[in-house]
Amino acid sequence: MTAALLTLADARLPAGGHTHSGGVEQAIAAGLVHDPSSLAGFLLRRLQTAGRVAAGLAAAACRGGDPAALDAEADARTPSPALRAASRQQGRGLVRVGRRAWPSPLWDALPAAPHHPVALGAAATAGGLTPRDAAGAAAYLSVSGPATAAQRLLAMDPLTVAAVTARLAPGIDAVADGALRDGLPADADPLLDLLAEVHAARRDRFFAS
Amino acid sequence: MITRVEVVARRGPGGRTVLPVVRGSGQLAVRRTGPASVHLVATAFGPLGGDDAEIRLVVEEGATLAVRTVAAAVALPDRGGDRPSAQRVVAEVAGSLDLRPEPTVVAARAHHRAGLTATLAPGAVLTATEQVLLGRTGEEPGRWTGTTRVVVDGRPLLHTTVGLGPGAPAWLPPVAPRAYASTVHVGQAAGVLTVDDAVRLPLEDGWVATAWGAELHRVVRAVEAVA
Repeated sequence: MTAALLTLADARLPAGGHTHSGGVEQAIAAGLVHDPSSLAGFLLRRLQTAGRVAAGLAAAACRGGDPAALDAEADARTPSPALRAASRQQGRGLVRVGRRAWPSPLWDALPAAPHHPVALGAAATAGGLTPRDAAGAAAYLSVSGPATAAQRLLAMDPLTVAAVTARLAPGIDAVADGALRDGLPADADPLLDLLAEVHAARRDRFFAS
Repeated sequence: MITRVEVVARRGPGGRTVLPVVRGSGQLAVRRTGPASVHLVATAFGPLGGDDAEIRLVVEEGATLAVRTVAAAVALPDRGGDRPSAQRVVAEVAGSLDLRPEPTVVAARAHHRAGLTATLAPGAVLTATEQVLLGRTGEEPGRWTGTTRVVVDGRPLLHTTVGLGPGAPAWLPPVAPRAYASTVHVGQAAGVLTVDDAVRLPLEDGWVATAWGAELHRVVRAVEAVA
Protein backbone atom coordinates (compact mmCIF):
# COMPACT_ATOMS: atom_id res chain seq x y z
CA MET A 1 0.00 0.00 0.00
CA THR A 2 1.16 3.51 -0.66
CA ALA A 3 -0.05 6.88 0.61
CA ALA A 4 -1.81 7.31 -2.74
CA LEU A 5 -4.47 4.89 -1.48
CA LEU A 6 -5.05 7.00 1.62
CA THR A 7 -5.48 10.03 -0.62
CA LEU A 8 -7.88 8.21 -2.92
CA ALA A 9 -10.11 7.06 -0.06
CA ASP A 10 -9.88 10.36 1.84
CA ALA A 11 -13.21 12.15 2.21
CA ARG A 12 -11.30 15.42 1.76
CA LEU A 13 -10.28 14.53 -1.80
CA PRO A 14 -12.37 17.09 -3.65
CA ALA A 15 -14.08 14.67 -6.03
CA GLY A 16 -17.60 15.68 -5.05
CA GLY A 17 -18.45 12.60 -2.99
CA HIS A 18 -19.56 14.72 -0.04
CA THR A 19 -22.66 15.88 -1.93
CA HIS A 20 -23.96 12.29 -2.14
CA SER A 21 -25.51 10.31 0.70
CA GLY A 22 -25.60 6.94 -1.07
CA GLY A 23 -29.31 6.58 -0.39
CA VAL A 24 -29.03 7.38 3.32
CA GLU A 25 -31.00 10.63 3.09
CA GLN A 26 -34.01 8.80 1.63
CA ALA A 27 -33.56 5.82 3.93
CA ILE A 28 -33.84 8.24 6.85
CA ALA A 29 -36.93 9.86 5.32
CA ALA A 30 -38.47 6.39 4.90
CA GLY A 31 -37.75 5.56 8.53
CA LEU A 32 -35.33 2.78 7.62
CA VAL A 33 -32.31 4.46 9.22
CA HIS A 34 -32.79 6.13 12.59
CA ASP A 35 -30.06 4.98 14.97
CA PRO A 36 -26.57 3.43 14.92
CA SER A 37 -27.84 -0.11 14.56
CA SER A 38 -30.18 0.62 11.65
CA LEU A 39 -27.39 2.66 10.05
CA ALA A 40 -25.01 -0.29 10.39
CA GLY A 41 -27.59 -2.53 8.71
CA PHE A 42 -28.09 -0.08 5.86
CA LEU A 43 -24.35 0.32 5.31
CA LEU A 44 -23.87 -3.46 5.28
CA ARG A 45 -26.64 -3.80 2.72
CA ARG A 46 -25.01 -1.13 0.57
CA LEU A 47 -21.55 -2.63 0.93
CA GLN A 48 -22.76 -6.07 -0.17
CA THR A 49 -24.49 -4.78 -3.29
CA ALA A 50 -23.37 -1.39 -4.66
CA GLY A 51 -20.03 -1.72 -2.85
CA ARG A 52 -19.33 -5.19 -4.23
CA VAL A 53 -20.19 -4.10 -7.77
CA ALA A 54 -18.06 -0.96 -7.47
CA ALA A 55 -15.12 -2.97 -6.09
CA GLY A 56 -15.30 -5.43 -8.99
CA LEU A 57 -15.44 -2.69 -11.60
CA ALA A 58 -12.66 -0.64 -9.97
CA ALA A 59 -10.36 -3.67 -9.76
CA ALA A 60 -11.06 -4.55 -13.39
CA ALA A 61 -10.43 -0.97 -14.51
CA CYS A 62 -7.18 -0.88 -12.55
CA ARG A 63 -6.17 -4.20 -14.10
CA GLY A 64 -6.30 -2.50 -17.50
CA GLY A 65 -9.78 -3.50 -18.63
CA ASP A 66 -11.29 -1.56 -21.51
CA PRO A 67 -12.83 1.54 -19.85
CA ALA A 68 -15.67 1.83 -22.36
CA ALA A 69 -16.64 -1.83 -21.94
CA LEU A 70 -16.48 -1.56 -18.14
CA ASP A 71 -18.50 1.65 -18.28
CA ALA A 72 -21.19 -0.22 -20.24
CA GLU A 73 -21.10 -3.05 -17.68
CA ALA A 74 -21.52 -0.43 -14.93
CA ASP A 75 -24.57 0.96 -16.75
CA ALA A 76 -26.08 -2.52 -17.00
CA ARG A 77 -25.59 -2.96 -13.25
CA THR A 78 -27.07 0.46 -12.47
CA PRO A 79 -30.53 0.59 -14.05
CA SER A 80 -31.65 3.43 -11.76
CA PRO A 81 -31.23 6.74 -13.65
CA ALA A 82 -30.67 8.57 -10.35
CA LEU A 83 -27.90 6.18 -9.35
CA ARG A 84 -26.35 6.33 -12.80
CA ALA A 85 -26.28 10.12 -12.63
CA ALA A 86 -24.80 10.04 -9.12
CA SER A 87 -22.10 7.60 -10.19
CA ARG A 88 -21.20 9.58 -13.31
CA GLN A 89 -21.12 12.88 -11.39
CA GLN A 90 -18.68 11.42 -8.91
CA GLY A 91 -16.69 9.82 -11.71
CA ARG A 92 -16.35 13.15 -13.46
CA GLY A 93 -15.32 14.80 -10.17
CA LEU A 94 -12.67 12.18 -9.59
CA VAL A 95 -11.30 12.54 -13.12
CA ARG A 96 -11.00 16.28 -12.58
CA VAL A 97 -8.93 15.98 -9.42
CA GLY A 98 -7.17 12.78 -10.51
CA ARG A 99 -5.77 14.35 -13.66
CA ARG A 100 -4.05 16.98 -11.54
CA ALA A 101 -3.00 14.65 -8.75
CA TRP A 102 -1.69 11.75 -10.86
CA PRO A 103 -0.99 12.88 -14.43
CA SER A 104 -1.27 9.97 -16.84
CA PRO A 105 -2.40 9.25 -20.40
CA LEU A 106 -4.96 6.87 -18.85
CA TRP A 107 -7.33 9.73 -18.12
CA ASP A 108 -7.77 10.46 -21.82
CA ALA A 109 -8.86 6.86 -22.45
CA LEU A 110 -11.89 7.25 -20.15
CA PRO A 111 -15.40 8.14 -21.34
CA ALA A 112 -16.38 11.79 -20.75
CA ALA A 113 -18.20 11.24 -17.45
CA PRO A 114 -17.27 7.69 -16.50
CA HIS A 115 -18.95 5.70 -13.76
CA HIS A 116 -17.19 6.36 -10.48
CA PRO A 117 -15.67 2.86 -10.08
CA VAL A 118 -14.19 3.05 -13.59
CA ALA A 119 -12.61 6.41 -12.76
CA LEU A 120 -11.46 5.01 -9.42
CA GLY A 121 -9.71 2.13 -11.15
CA ALA A 122 -7.95 4.53 -13.50
CA ALA A 123 -6.94 6.75 -10.57
CA ALA A 124 -5.51 3.74 -8.76
CA THR A 125 -3.44 2.77 -11.79
CA ALA A 126 -2.27 6.35 -12.32
CA GLY A 127 -1.34 6.55 -8.63
CA GLY A 128 0.72 3.37 -8.77
CA LEU A 129 -1.79 1.27 -6.84
CA THR A 130 -2.95 -2.33 -7.32
CA PRO A 131 -6.36 -3.72 -8.32
CA ARG A 132 -6.81 -4.83 -4.68
CA ASP A 133 -6.20 -1.23 -3.60
CA ALA A 134 -8.76 0.03 -6.11
CA ALA A 135 -11.30 -2.51 -4.89
CA GLY A 136 -10.61 -1.63 -1.27
CA ALA A 137 -11.09 2.07 -1.95
CA ALA A 138 -14.33 1.42 -3.83
CA ALA A 139 -15.71 -0.80 -1.08
CA TYR A 140 -14.70 1.66 1.63
CA LEU A 141 -16.14 4.65 -0.22
CA SER A 142 -19.43 2.80 -0.67
CA VAL A 143 -20.01 3.12 3.08
CA SER A 144 -17.81 5.96 4.36
CA GLY A 145 -19.64 8.77 2.55
CA PRO A 146 -23.10 7.47 3.48
CA ALA A 147 -22.00 7.10 7.11
CA THR A 148 -20.92 10.73 7.24
CA ALA A 149 -24.17 11.80 5.56
CA ALA A 150 -26.18 9.94 8.21
CA GLN A 151 -24.15 11.59 10.94
CA ARG A 152 -24.96 15.01 9.56
CA LEU A 153 -28.64 14.35 8.84
CA LEU A 154 -29.42 12.67 12.15
CA ALA A 155 -26.99 14.75 14.21
CA MET A 156 -25.48 11.47 15.42
CA ASP A 157 -22.50 11.22 17.69
CA PRO A 158 -19.42 11.25 15.40
CA LEU A 159 -17.62 8.75 17.61
CA THR A 160 -20.48 6.29 17.30
CA VAL A 161 -20.63 6.68 13.52
CA ALA A 162 -16.85 6.26 13.27
CA ALA A 163 -17.16 3.05 15.28
CA VAL A 164 -19.99 1.78 13.05
CA THR A 165 -17.82 2.35 9.98
CA ALA A 166 -14.71 0.87 11.58
CA ARG A 167 -16.60 -2.29 12.53
CA LEU A 168 -17.42 -2.83 8.86
CA ALA A 169 -13.69 -3.21 8.10
CA PRO A 170 -13.71 -7.03 7.88
CA GLY A 171 -16.69 -6.86 5.51
CA ILE A 172 -14.99 -4.19 3.42
CA ASP A 173 -11.86 -6.34 3.18
CA ALA A 174 -13.89 -9.39 2.23
CA VAL A 175 -15.66 -7.48 -0.54
CA ALA A 176 -12.33 -6.13 -1.81
CA ASP A 177 -10.75 -9.61 -1.76
CA GLY A 178 -13.78 -10.99 -3.58
CA ALA A 179 -13.38 -8.37 -6.31
CA LEU A 180 -10.16 -10.07 -7.40
CA ARG A 181 -11.83 -13.44 -7.49
CA ASP A 182 -15.42 -13.20 -8.59
CA GLY A 183 -15.20 -11.56 -12.02
CA LEU A 184 -17.62 -8.64 -12.26
CA PRO A 185 -20.27 -9.04 -9.55
CA ALA A 186 -23.77 -7.75 -10.27
CA ASP A 187 -25.35 -7.74 -6.80
CA ALA A 188 -28.37 -5.50 -6.85
CA ASP A 189 -30.69 -4.11 -4.21
CA PRO A 190 -34.04 -2.98 -5.61
CA LEU A 191 -34.66 -1.14 -2.33
CA LEU A 192 -31.71 1.17 -3.03
CA ASP A 193 -33.02 1.75 -6.57
CA LEU A 194 -36.44 2.69 -5.23
CA LEU A 195 -34.99 4.99 -2.56
CA ALA A 196 -32.78 6.69 -5.15
CA GLU A 197 -35.66 7.36 -7.53
CA VAL A 198 -38.01 8.64 -4.81
CA HIS A 199 -35.18 10.83 -3.56
CA ALA A 200 -34.40 12.25 -7.00
CA ALA A 201 -38.01 13.40 -7.35
CA ARG A 202 -37.89 15.38 -4.10
CA ARG A 203 -37.31 19.12 -4.00
CA ASP A 204 -36.41 19.35 -0.32
CA ARG A 205 -33.26 17.23 -0.32
CA PHE A 206 -29.84 18.19 1.01
CA PHE A 207 -27.84 15.63 -0.92
CA ALA A 208 -27.62 15.01 -4.66
CA SER A 209 -28.33 11.31 -4.13
CA MET B 1 -30.98 -34.71 -11.94
CA ILE B 2 -29.96 -33.05 -15.19
CA THR B 3 -32.72 -31.34 -17.13
CA ARG B 4 -32.29 -29.98 -20.62
CA VAL B 5 -34.94 -28.18 -22.65
CA GLU B 6 -34.55 -26.74 -26.11
CA VAL B 7 -37.11 -24.88 -28.16
CA VAL B 8 -36.45 -23.18 -31.48
CA ALA B 9 -39.00 -20.82 -33.03
CA ARG B 10 -38.64 -20.04 -36.71
CA ARG B 11 -40.54 -17.90 -39.17
CA GLY B 12 -42.32 -20.34 -41.43
CA PRO B 13 -44.29 -20.11 -44.67
CA GLY B 14 -46.64 -17.13 -44.71
CA GLY B 15 -44.88 -15.54 -41.76
CA ARG B 16 -46.35 -17.94 -39.21
CA THR B 17 -44.07 -19.24 -36.51
CA VAL B 18 -43.12 -22.89 -36.59
CA LEU B 19 -41.29 -24.77 -33.85
CA PRO B 20 -38.80 -27.09 -35.56
CA VAL B 21 -37.19 -28.05 -32.23
CA VAL B 22 -39.21 -28.83 -29.10
CA ARG B 23 -37.22 -31.04 -26.80
CA GLY B 24 -37.22 -31.77 -23.08
CA SER B 25 -35.44 -34.24 -20.84
CA GLY B 26 -35.02 -34.80 -17.12
CA GLN B 27 -37.58 -33.04 -14.96
CA LEU B 28 -39.24 -30.98 -17.66
CA ALA B 29 -41.37 -32.06 -20.58
CA VAL B 30 -42.36 -29.55 -23.24
CA ARG B 31 -45.90 -29.42 -24.62
CA ARG B 32 -46.94 -27.41 -27.64
CA THR B 33 -49.97 -25.44 -26.49
CA GLY B 34 -50.39 -23.14 -29.46
CA PRO B 35 -48.88 -22.37 -32.84
CA ALA B 36 -46.13 -20.34 -31.14
CA SER B 37 -46.41 -21.32 -27.50
CA VAL B 38 -45.14 -24.09 -25.28
CA HIS B 39 -45.77 -25.09 -21.68
CA LEU B 40 -43.06 -26.66 -19.57
CA VAL B 41 -44.48 -29.49 -17.49
CA ALA B 42 -42.67 -30.75 -14.40
CA THR B 43 -42.45 -34.53 -14.58
CA ALA B 44 -40.96 -34.92 -11.11
CA PHE B 45 -41.02 -33.28 -7.71
CA GLY B 46 -38.64 -30.43 -7.21
CA PRO B 47 -36.16 -29.22 -8.24
CA LEU B 48 -34.10 -30.66 -5.42
CA GLY B 49 -30.78 -29.27 -4.25
CA GLY B 50 -28.15 -30.50 -6.68
CA ASP B 51 -30.51 -30.56 -9.66
CA ASP B 52 -29.39 -28.66 -12.72
CA ALA B 53 -31.73 -27.45 -15.43
CA GLU B 54 -30.91 -25.52 -18.59
CA ILE B 55 -33.60 -24.19 -20.87
CA ARG B 56 -32.36 -23.06 -24.23
CA LEU B 57 -34.70 -20.87 -26.25
CA VAL B 58 -33.99 -19.64 -29.75
CA VAL B 59 -36.39 -17.23 -31.41
CA GLU B 60 -35.30 -16.45 -34.92
CA GLU B 61 -36.05 -13.24 -36.76
CA GLY B 62 -39.74 -12.87 -37.59
CA ALA B 63 -40.78 -15.60 -35.14
CA THR B 64 -42.58 -15.36 -31.81
CA LEU B 65 -42.49 -17.71 -28.86
CA ALA B 66 -44.46 -17.78 -25.63
CA VAL B 67 -43.15 -19.99 -22.83
CA ARG B 68 -45.28 -20.86 -19.80
CA THR B 69 -45.22 -23.44 -17.05
CA VAL B 70 -48.25 -25.34 -15.83
CA ALA B 71 -47.66 -24.99 -12.10
CA ALA B 72 -45.49 -23.36 -9.48
CA ALA B 73 -42.11 -25.02 -8.97
CA VAL B 74 -41.26 -25.91 -5.39
CA ALA B 75 -37.50 -25.91 -4.86
CA LEU B 76 -36.60 -28.41 -2.15
CA PRO B 77 -33.37 -28.79 -0.18
CA ASP B 78 -30.58 -31.15 -1.11
CA ARG B 79 -31.26 -34.47 0.60
CA GLY B 80 -27.62 -35.26 1.30
CA GLY B 81 -25.92 -31.87 1.59
CA ASP B 82 -26.52 -28.22 0.97
CA ARG B 83 -26.11 -27.93 -2.77
CA PRO B 84 -28.38 -25.38 -4.44
CA SER B 85 -30.71 -26.28 -7.29
CA ALA B 86 -30.04 -24.36 -10.49
CA GLN B 87 -32.14 -23.36 -13.44
CA ARG B 88 -30.68 -21.34 -16.29
CA VAL B 89 -32.65 -19.93 -19.16
CA VAL B 90 -30.40 -19.14 -22.08
CA ALA B 91 -32.25 -17.26 -24.80
CA GLU B 92 -31.15 -16.02 -28.20
CA VAL B 93 -33.79 -13.72 -29.56
CA ALA B 94 -34.05 -12.03 -32.93
CA GLY B 95 -37.87 -12.21 -32.97
CA SER B 96 -40.13 -11.93 -29.96
CA LEU B 97 -39.94 -13.99 -26.73
CA ASP B 98 -42.55 -13.92 -24.00
CA LEU B 99 -41.40 -15.91 -20.97
CA ARG B 100 -43.84 -16.03 -18.05
CA PRO B 101 -43.36 -19.02 -15.79
CA GLU B 102 -45.50 -19.68 -12.72
CA PRO B 103 -43.91 -18.78 -9.36
CA THR B 104 -40.94 -20.49 -7.79
CA VAL B 105 -41.51 -21.41 -4.15
CA VAL B 106 -38.30 -22.04 -2.24
CA ALA B 107 -38.84 -24.38 0.69
CA ALA B 108 -37.06 -23.97 4.01
CA ARG B 109 -33.33 -24.85 3.86
CA ALA B 110 -33.39 -24.96 0.06
CA HIS B 111 -31.30 -22.64 -2.11
CA HIS B 112 -32.40 -22.11 -5.68
CA ARG B 113 -30.28 -20.30 -8.26
CA ALA B 114 -32.15 -18.90 -11.21
CA GLY B 115 -30.46 -17.42 -14.24
CA LEU B 116 -31.68 -15.66 -17.34
CA THR B 117 -29.17 -14.83 -20.03
CA ALA B 118 -30.85 -13.22 -23.01
CA THR B 119 -28.88 -12.24 -26.08
CA LEU B 120 -30.98 -10.00 -28.30
CA ALA B 121 -30.49 -8.89 -31.86
CA PRO B 122 -31.39 -5.27 -32.69
CA GLY B 123 -35.18 -4.94 -32.81
CA ALA B 124 -35.83 -8.13 -30.82
CA VAL B 125 -38.65 -8.10 -28.28
CA LEU B 126 -38.39 -9.69 -24.86
CA THR B 127 -40.70 -9.95 -21.87
CA ALA B 128 -39.50 -12.13 -19.02
CA THR B 129 -41.14 -12.41 -15.62
CA GLU B 130 -40.00 -13.91 -12.35
CA GLN B 131 -42.12 -14.60 -9.26
CA VAL B 132 -40.57 -15.93 -6.09
CA LEU B 133 -41.96 -16.95 -2.72
CA LEU B 134 -39.63 -17.94 0.10
CA GLY B 135 -41.04 -20.79 2.13
CA ARG B 136 -44.33 -22.64 1.93
CA THR B 137 -47.10 -21.72 4.34
CA GLY B 138 -45.94 -21.74 7.94
CA GLU B 139 -42.39 -22.56 6.94
CA GLU B 140 -39.10 -20.70 7.29
CA PRO B 141 -38.00 -18.91 4.11
CA GLY B 142 -35.63 -20.66 1.74
CA ARG B 143 -32.94 -18.87 -0.23
CA TRP B 144 -33.12 -17.66 -3.81
CA THR B 145 -30.43 -16.09 -5.98
CA GLY B 146 -31.48 -14.73 -9.37
CA THR B 147 -29.15 -13.36 -12.02
CA THR B 148 -30.45 -11.61 -15.11
CA ARG B 149 -28.21 -10.56 -17.97
CA VAL B 150 -29.66 -9.01 -21.10
CA VAL B 151 -27.37 -8.10 -23.97
CA VAL B 152 -28.69 -6.19 -26.98
CA ASP B 153 -26.64 -5.98 -30.15
CA GLY B 154 -23.50 -6.97 -28.23
CA ARG B 155 -23.97 -4.34 -25.54
CA PRO B 156 -24.98 -5.18 -21.96
CA LEU B 157 -28.38 -3.69 -21.20
CA LEU B 158 -29.09 -5.12 -17.76
CA HIS B 159 -27.07 -7.30 -15.43
CA THR B 160 -28.28 -7.80 -11.88
CA THR B 161 -28.08 -10.45 -9.20
CA VAL B 162 -30.73 -10.37 -6.51
CA GLY B 163 -30.26 -12.50 -3.41
CA LEU B 164 -33.17 -13.29 -1.12
CA GLY B 165 -33.49 -15.33 2.02
CA PRO B 166 -31.39 -16.17 5.08
CA GLY B 167 -27.71 -15.81 4.32
CA ALA B 168 -28.21 -13.60 1.27
CA PRO B 169 -25.88 -10.63 1.83
CA ALA B 170 -28.40 -7.83 1.40
CA TRP B 171 -31.50 -9.62 2.71
CA LEU B 172 -31.53 -7.75 5.98
CA PRO B 173 -34.21 -6.39 8.26
CA PRO B 174 -36.18 -4.22 8.10
CA VAL B 175 -36.50 -5.04 4.39
CA ALA B 176 -36.22 -8.81 4.06
CA PRO B 177 -39.20 -9.74 1.89
CA ARG B 178 -40.60 -13.24 1.47
CA ALA B 179 -42.13 -12.46 -1.89
CA TYR B 180 -40.47 -10.92 -4.93
CA ALA B 181 -41.49 -10.33 -8.52
CA SER B 182 -39.66 -8.81 -11.45
CA THR B 183 -40.37 -8.22 -15.11
CA VAL B 184 -37.89 -7.12 -17.73
CA HIS B 185 -39.08 -5.87 -21.07
CA VAL B 186 -37.23 -4.85 -24.21
CA GLY B 187 -39.10 -3.45 -27.20
CA GLN B 188 -40.97 -0.46 -25.84
CA ALA B 189 -39.56 2.25 -23.60
CA ALA B 190 -41.13 3.41 -20.33
CA GLY B 191 -39.93 5.85 -17.69
CA VAL B 192 -39.41 5.74 -13.94
CA LEU B 193 -42.39 4.84 -11.79
CA THR B 194 -42.29 4.39 -8.02
CA VAL B 195 -44.90 3.16 -5.57
CA ASP B 196 -44.60 1.55 -2.15
CA ASP B 197 -42.20 -1.39 -2.43
CA ALA B 198 -42.19 -1.39 -6.22
CA VAL B 199 -40.17 0.46 -8.82
CA ARG B 200 -39.94 0.60 -12.61
CA LEU B 201 -36.64 1.69 -14.11
CA PRO B 202 -36.11 2.63 -17.73
CA LEU B 203 -33.76 0.71 -19.99
CA GLU B 204 -32.86 1.73 -23.49
CA ASP B 205 -35.99 0.77 -25.46
CA GLY B 206 -37.36 -1.09 -22.45
CA TRP B 207 -37.76 -1.22 -18.68
CA VAL B 208 -37.35 -3.41 -15.63
CA ALA B 209 -39.98 -3.52 -12.88
CA THR B 210 -39.49 -5.01 -9.43
CA ALA B 211 -41.75 -5.43 -6.41
CA TRP B 212 -41.35 -7.09 -3.05
CA GLY B 213 -43.35 -7.71 0.09
CA ALA B 214 -44.83 -10.29 2.40
CA GLU B 215 -47.41 -11.92 0.16
CA LEU B 216 -46.86 -13.07 -3.39
CA HIS B 217 -50.30 -12.19 -4.77
CA ARG B 218 -49.91 -8.58 -3.62
CA VAL B 219 -46.37 -8.39 -4.97
CA VAL B 220 -47.47 -9.74 -8.34
CA ARG B 221 -50.24 -7.14 -8.44
CA ALA B 222 -47.71 -4.44 -7.53
CA VAL B 223 -45.27 -5.41 -10.26
CA GLU B 224 -48.09 -5.50 -12.79
CA ALA B 225 -49.15 -2.01 -11.62
CA VAL B 226 -45.73 -0.56 -12.45
CA ALA B 227 -45.11 -2.73 -15.52
